[in-house]
Amino acid sequence: MLRPLRSIALLLAALSMAYAGTGSAHHSTGMFDQAKTIKLVGTVKQFQWTNPHSWIQLDVTNEAGAKEEWSIEGNSPNQLIRLGWRPGTLKPGDNITLLVKPMRDGAKGGMFVEITLADGTVLKQYDR
Amino acid sequence: MSVWAAEAAAKLPDWSGAWQLRGRGESRASATNGGPAKVGERNLPPYNPAWQKKFEANAELAKQDRFPDPLSFCGIPVGYPRVLNLPDSYEFVVRPERVWILTENGPNLMRIYTDGRDHPAADLMWPTYTGDSVGHWEGDALVFDTVSIKNDGDTIFDRNGVVFSDKIHVVTRLRITAPDTLTADVTVIDPGALTEPYKIVRQFRRIEAGARVYDYACRENNRNPIDASGKTLTLGTDGRVIDLAK
Repeated sequence: MLRPLRSIALLLAALSMAYAGTGSAHHSTGMFDQAKTIKLVGTVKQFQWTNPHSWIQLDVTNEAGAKEEWSIEGNSPNQLIRLGWRPGTLKPGDNITLLVKPMRDGAKGGMFVEITLADGTVLKQYDR
Repeated sequence: MSVWAAEAAAKLPDWSGAWQLRGRGESRASATNGGPAKVGERNLPPYNPAWQKKFEANAELAKQDRFPDPLSFCGIPVGYPRVLNLPDSYEFVVRPERVWILTENGPNLMRIYTDGRDHPAADLMWPTYTGDSVGHWEGDALVFDTVSIKNDGDTIFDRNGVVFSDKIHVVTRLRITAPDTLTADVTVIDPGALTEPYKIVRQFRRIEAGARVYDYACRENNRNPIDASGKTLTLGTDGRVIDLAK
């Protein structure tokens, strides 16, 4: 029988796997590095409240001071609306912070996990 | 409504509302999203040697993220029993003569005839994604039989490589097993691919009262097309591929 501590560790591993697995309804999430979470701070260029995925086009100023555009995808509107998101949650010009599972190949894309609006409101991509 | 229909309807269970798959398919039997589960955590189908090889080849493709999933192609039904393995919500519409399973995700609709009819004669059937389903009520349980399912490459059960042959025949038992919990006991009988029946359990929880079910048009803004090699691409708003890796 497993010792309690080990059981908890296994449970956490299982939960994190399930968590990682819920990211995409429409396609495999293999292109995202699930082991990595990056923080992006930027300005919303466009919010696409669409199927099969919603997208946040984010203007980010990189370390060299240059502006670059990121394409960050998330769940479909039917799932997001049940988690408190709205079609009008993001507007061009909004300054937000995102937690993102980045693309493995280093492209300026990824899957959002959580966003923080300018007023401190936090919205998540998952219900757990 | 006739007196017969009213009496028959009164005996039917209440499966109203919207439902969501528990664990989003990440159950012990098999996972639908999120890549391969660890060996030992899943109960793989009892494949015969030829289909075991096919599964292993699929699993290898899945590892490379190139295992084709009809769901990713947008607009193709996922097939049965994959219909019971989807994200987003479900509705179960129960009438005396028929039950419909409607999925919010994708163009999936199961029609289960419960008016006493049998499957069509062989010359009136051809393989389709969702097949032909006839059922009956055993108390509060709907038991239905599904045949004539298009398979062997056209549909999959999950993204880890589980597939069945065109000899697939599925028996499903659906009933409320706990408050707001609908349990599907699924038995896959497939003499083409399996050495014995494969049993899968799926559970759905009723989501909040009054929940709406929404449009899901997969081609509305599909910025993740699949290329000829099976790789999922990511497009920018201008339609150009942003992936750096080939």
